[in-house]
Amino acid sequence: MSGRFGEILQHMRVMTLKELLQFRRDVFLLIIVVYAFSADIYVAGSGIEMELKHAALTVADYDQSSASRDLIYSFREPQFKLQGMEMNADRAMDMLDSGKTMLYLEIPANFNKALLSGDPAQIQLLVDTSNSVLGSLATSYAAQIVAGYGVQRAMERLSVAGAMGGSMPMVNSAHRVWFNPNGLDRWFVPINEMLTMITMLSIMLPAAAMVREKERGTVEQLLVSPLTPLEIMLPKVFAMTMVILLGVTVTVYGVLGPIFHIPFRGNVFLFYTLTAIYVFSTAGFGLAISTVVNNLAQVGLMVIMLLSPMLMLSGTFVPPEAMPTVLGYLMLLSPLHHFIEIVMGILLKGVGLDVLWPSVLGMFLLGGAVFGFGTWRFRRQFG
Amino acid sequence: MNLTRLAAVIAKEWAEITRDRLFLGLAFVVPPVLMLVFGLGMNLDVENIPFVIVDHDHTPQSREYAYRMIDSRYFDFKGYLNDEHQIPRLLSRGAVRAIVVIPDKFEEDLAAGHAVTVQTLMDGSFPLRANIARGYIGAINAYYTQELIAKRLTTAGFSQKQARQQMGNLRLEMRMLYNQSGKSIWSMAPKMVMMVLMMTPPLLTAVSLVREKERGSILNIYASTVTRGEFLLGKWLPYAGISMVNGVLLWALAVFYFQAPFKGSFGFYLLATFIYSFTTTGIGLLVSSFVKTQIAAVVMTMVVTLVPAILFSGMLFPLSSMGPQAQVIAYLAPAMHYARIIDGTFMKGVGLDKLWPSVLSLLLYAVVLFSLAYYFFTKRPQE
Amino acid sequence: MDETPVVRIRGLVKNYKDVHAVRGIDLDIPKGSLFGLIGSDGAGKSSTMKTVAGVMSYDAGSVNVFGNLIDSESAAERIKLRLGFMPQGLGQNLYPDLSIEENINFFARLRLVKSEDLGERKEKLLRMTRLDKFRDRAMKNLSGGMKQKLGLVCTLIHEPELVILDEPTTGVDPVSRRDFWAILAELLAEKGITALVSTAYMDEASRFHSAALMHHGRILATGEIESLLRMAPGTVASVAAQPQLEALKRLRGRFEQVVALGNYLRVFVPEQTADAEHVVRDVLKGLDVTEVQTDTPELEDVYVSLLELNGEGQAVRELPSPPEGTVIHLDPNAPVIEAVNLVRDFGAFRAVDHVSFEVRPGEIFGLLGANGAGKTTVIKMLTGILRPSEGAGSVAGADMRHSGSTIKKRIGYMSQAFSLYLDLSVVENIRLYAGIYAVPQREIEPRLRWIVDLAGLEGMENALTGSLPMGLRQRLALGCALVHRPPILFLDEPTSGVDPMGRREFWDVLFRLSRQEGVGLLVTTHYMVEAEYCDRIALMHAGKVVAYDSPAGLKADVEKRFGQLLEIRCENPYRAQSVLRDHGFEDATLFGRRVQVLARDAEAVKNDVRKVLDAAKISVQSIGRLPLTMENVFVQNVLDLEHKAGLAA
Repeated sequence: MSGRFGEILQHMRVMTLKELLQFRRDVFLLIIVVYAFSADIYVAGSGIEMELKHAALTVADYDQSSASRDLIYSFREPQFKLQGMEMNADRAMDMLDSGKTMLYLEIPANFNKALLSGDPAQIQLLVDTSNSVLGSLATSYAAQIVAGYGVQRAMERLSVAGAMGGSMPMVNSAHRVWFNPNGLDRWFVPINEMLTMITMLSIMLPAAAMVREKERGTVEQLLVSPLTPLEIMLPKVFAMTMVILLGVTVTVYGVLGPIFHIPFRGNVFLFYTLTAIYVFSTAGFGLAISTVVNNLAQVGLMVIMLLSPMLMLSGTFVPPEAMPTVLGYLMLLSPLHHFIEIVMGILLKGVGLDVLWPSVLGMFLLGGAVFGFGTWRFRRQFG
Repeated sequence: MNLTRLAAVIAKEWAEITRDRLFLGLAFVVPPVLMLVFGLGMNLDVENIPFVIVDHDHTPQSREYAYRMIDSRYFDFKGYLNDEHQIPRLLSRGAVRAIVVIPDKFEEDLAAGHAVTVQTLMDGSFPLRANIARGYIGAINAYYTQELIAKRLTTAGFSQKQARQQMGNLRLEMRMLYNQSGKSIWSMAPKMVMMVLMMTPPLLTAVSLVREKERGSILNIYASTVTRGEFLLGKWLPYAGISMVNGVLLWALAVFYFQAPFKGSFGFYLLATFIYSFTTTGIGLLVSSFVKTQIAAVVMTMVVTLVPAILFSGMLFPLSSMGPQAQVIAYLAPAMHYARIIDGTFMKGVGLDKLWPSVLSLLLYAVVLFSLAYYFFTKRPQE
Repeated sequence: MDETPVVRIRGLVKNYKDVHAVRGIDLDIPKGSLFGLIGSDGAGKSSTMKTVAGVMSYDAGSVNVFGNLIDSESAAERIKLRLGFMPQGLGQNLYPDLSIEENINFFARLRLVKSEDLGERKEKLLRMTRLDKFRDRAMKNLSGGMKQKLGLVCTLIHEPELVILDEPTTGVDPVSRRDFWAILAELLAEKGITALVSTAYMDEASRFHSAALMHHGRILATGEIESLLRMAPGTVASVAAQPQLEALKRLRGRFEQVVALGNYLRVFVPEQTADAEHVVRDVLKGLDVTEVQTDTPELEDVYVSLLELNGEGQAVRELPSPPEGTVIHLDPNAPVIEAVNLVRDFGAFRAVDHVSFEVRPGEIFGLLGANGAGKTTVIKMLTGILRPSEGAGSVAGADMRHSGSTIKKRIGYMSQAFSLYLDLSVVENIRLYAGIYAVPQREIEPRLRWIVDLAGLEGMENALTGSLPMGLRQRLALGCALVHRPPILFLDEPTSGVDPMGRREFWDVLFRLSRQEGVGLLVTTHYMVEAEYCDRIALMHAGKVVAYDSPAGLKADVEKRFGQLLEIRCENPYRAQSVLRDHGFEDATLFGRRVQVLARDAEAVKNDVRKVLDAAKISVQSIGRLPLTMENVFVQNVLDLEHKAGLAA
């Protein structure tokens, strides 16, 4: 029995080594992998933010009082940028239509007077919400600014008047943002990008390795050899897992840390173990793909088709609570969704298995199913 | 230009597309499916943010304050939390995204005219949502403060009118233009058209030409008197046509299934989509004129189409928030121009008079791409 | 014949990065000729043809076609309407999803063939190629032979003056090949078209009027086939002598070209016919010589002689003795393969139908058949990949019905693709297979040395396999298949793409493996010439074994059933062929400028042929007897079966 076991070990060893050697000599894949784990993450992380910045604001100030000016100046950089005055409503509409301005603030002529008299002072803000995200951000900030302005005005006058006897009841907001204190997309986007790349390559690399054998006819030779289908398949997955873990190391310690200053708060060993398990199980998709396609290009097409919905359902862009109910449940079926929770948890939140166990369990079950499916397809074709 | 030869190339291409299951699927099935998946999954509405309240005060006033939050459509109240030690756990598990902590002596301090600080702990893993939530909470607090002061003034003997006079009565009328309900799907669905049309048509074009190179049937073209222009045009037209058909199909999905408003002229939409189709497939044509293998075509096309379409089109990440480099990339990529057109026709109902610069850019693109492809494609290559 | 050649090439050079594909060749192709470019993969045939067709640029020299210098894309455009080009690869230039008719229409419309002409030409060509019944069938569902015929139709649809066909018969079975050549000859004769055709099969040389022998980017010789054959004067002697290994050793000591063909040794004696037998017998004095037969040399002998003259010949290597160590021992008297009534069904289709044969230790056994005859299915069953539906068998002493894994450990297997990892180095490949076949760690190093020695790869141990020439790759693949010293070796088309010199060397190694080490070899091949190397052969057709004997036995059987092979040299051979066919010689076949017929009664047929041709005013130069080849054996057997099947249906 130990003889058989020794043989399996020998098979695994030589085949894994073979895969690694072949990978090292495939310049094309090598470039893709290096790009995916370095430049791609860098590009995604720098310069792109889902934030409201320099939103163009055009103003029609019919009041021209210090009060109106104060209000206008409270729309500040970096969120807003005062673009200029435009008293002609038609032209202002044009500017909104052609996207030259995003917000149009109208302050009526009696603004200051109304404020002083206690009559309703109505100001109007037109917001281009054709991009709903920016629209939401802009309306939320504007509401906060205007409300804050009102309170500030009141306080000034009341304290001048001494009406409150120096005391003022008020509710201040104090925000503490956990895990990503400055709300930086610079943290969020590159981590997500890394996870996307891990997923893409976990599917693509084993599929590519298998299809290469098919294309060159070497699989025939392996099938007449004493190797079992599992001994052909597993080394590919092992080797590609190693490659991806190496890539992840480059990203985490070469890009995320030094360039984006993203902290690594959790346990390194746990991170690598769970990443390895994720990569290994996701490879099941790649193996299943390799049974239905004949060349590398078809692998590429299949990966695109598979990856897009997976990303959509992963929670990368949208958390589950914002999904329609059915999709919210479907998300629970995406291994990537659980993996994202795990990676964000370990990297940013610094938590361990005690907190992450539901996600880990989910990933295990789904990954097992995916890998099982891939193995089943593979054995059916090559067994 | 000989029409018989052109027609021969087109007819052959068309027959091949309709008989290859992979191609046919990619051409007509995948685009609508992607549209549906993206449309359903890419919900960027920031509503129903799950949150809990830690009420240390347990007074009628604290409860009243809490209801301001609970009633808001932006927040989804998950209950009161008694044990503050639970906070890290809840946040790290992603079960709630915000925790509002009402301090001890909330009522007492406010009654005494002191400022009270309500702390909000937020999960920063989704920065966009955290930022929007922060804005809403700030606004809620500001309005609450105004009310408090007004109430205080009335109790101090001022009349309602005087109180208002002292307080100021600033009202912000927010008009959300183009997308009144602020539904993200309304603004996302049209942009999905942009993205989906950028995904499969260029890939198909590139693969179809390179496939002929790999297979060797390109030699028929080399060895015959069909001109470069006839051949390239014959390859271009069917795929641009497919893209057009998809443009209409996806438009119907956006308007009838996702109920996105379409305010512009359909004729103008068709014209712009027509030009865009030539631009996207032109990218595929150009890529395929100098690569040799299908996989290289797939990867190259992906890199030059998808990355700009997702990251630099302004679909997810606003153009104004980008760094200068990123803005340059955005302006160089056709996706951004078409995204503007899409925004304009769907949301704003504007036409050629406002959008002609974008249309012109796309047209220029198509011409440049075809010229480059013509230049790079040779009927008597080195090998 | 027209004075100016249709194609004139001077000093043509073509390089692909650092690979020198064509190294300065001169070539003239006269109008109306059927001109052959003969050479193996990498000889420079395809590159030459592509430059002539104007679909590839070249680095130096000049190419003139119809008197136009082809030196730019626009210059090439001017000749393209007058030529037809069919690139290499079985139907590679056709569109798999399009039907036969759609493919033809596309080519015609691309060439602006008028629709009234198209209809007529298409019908005629479809009828000639007998594709008319399948006009709506998608190209991907055609057999190899049909694909090539369709390719020919598409190339000729615009009636070009020059056709360039790149290896049109590679991978096509002998029957379809014969058919292809007949159609081509007919079309060329009818329209006076000039044809430049390449082939890797030396035995097809007789199909051409003139030919150029190419090797490593150079032309070794060019001229009419007869004059090429005269370039290496001498005699070929086939000798049966025992002990065979000793006879081989002695003959090798005396002659440059000696190959072992089953029980025969084939010697090229570069002297006069009368002396050859004498000289050979002299060398073998003291051995038991049972038979010496002499024949005229074939083109392959010329090719190899020319290579040797150019200093490209390689010294014959002794087989190194394998290192001590773990060897799989089997009963030396039991057959290594025994197949008894094997049947394999795929749904309703019976791929293999009651196949029985056995392979003995130390025997080279050939499995022959066209694509789809069932060879591959038989091999899959024997190697334990596929379970038989019925029947029994044992391979390497293990029952093939339920000991698949045991069989896999005991056999060696080398496939057509050589199954090497081209991106791994020589030693990396060997170590990989040593690991897969569980060679004990301490034995790996000596075996590695042995394989490197066997394959002649000393000094290239760390070279990437992809950078090796085909011949070396092939021997490395053989070495890898032998890493666990199996008692039986499966070789699936092991010599495709290798030049004649390499093929001879390879067969020499196989011969020694069988005789010295007692390894049983099961070989499939589509080079009919190579079937001669086998001790015994099973010929498969439509899932059945239809002939099972030694090559000599098979030939004797064909001669008994169908007669001897006669070759007629005469003027206007194309008309002679059709005249003969009209007068009852239905098997009359054109080979270049000669016609072949089979004759049961040689003398009577000779007289009849003369009478018929005289009546048609065709003057006959000679009628001589030719030895039957394995191709004749294959074609006659298959045609006979198809004929019978046709009668039954």
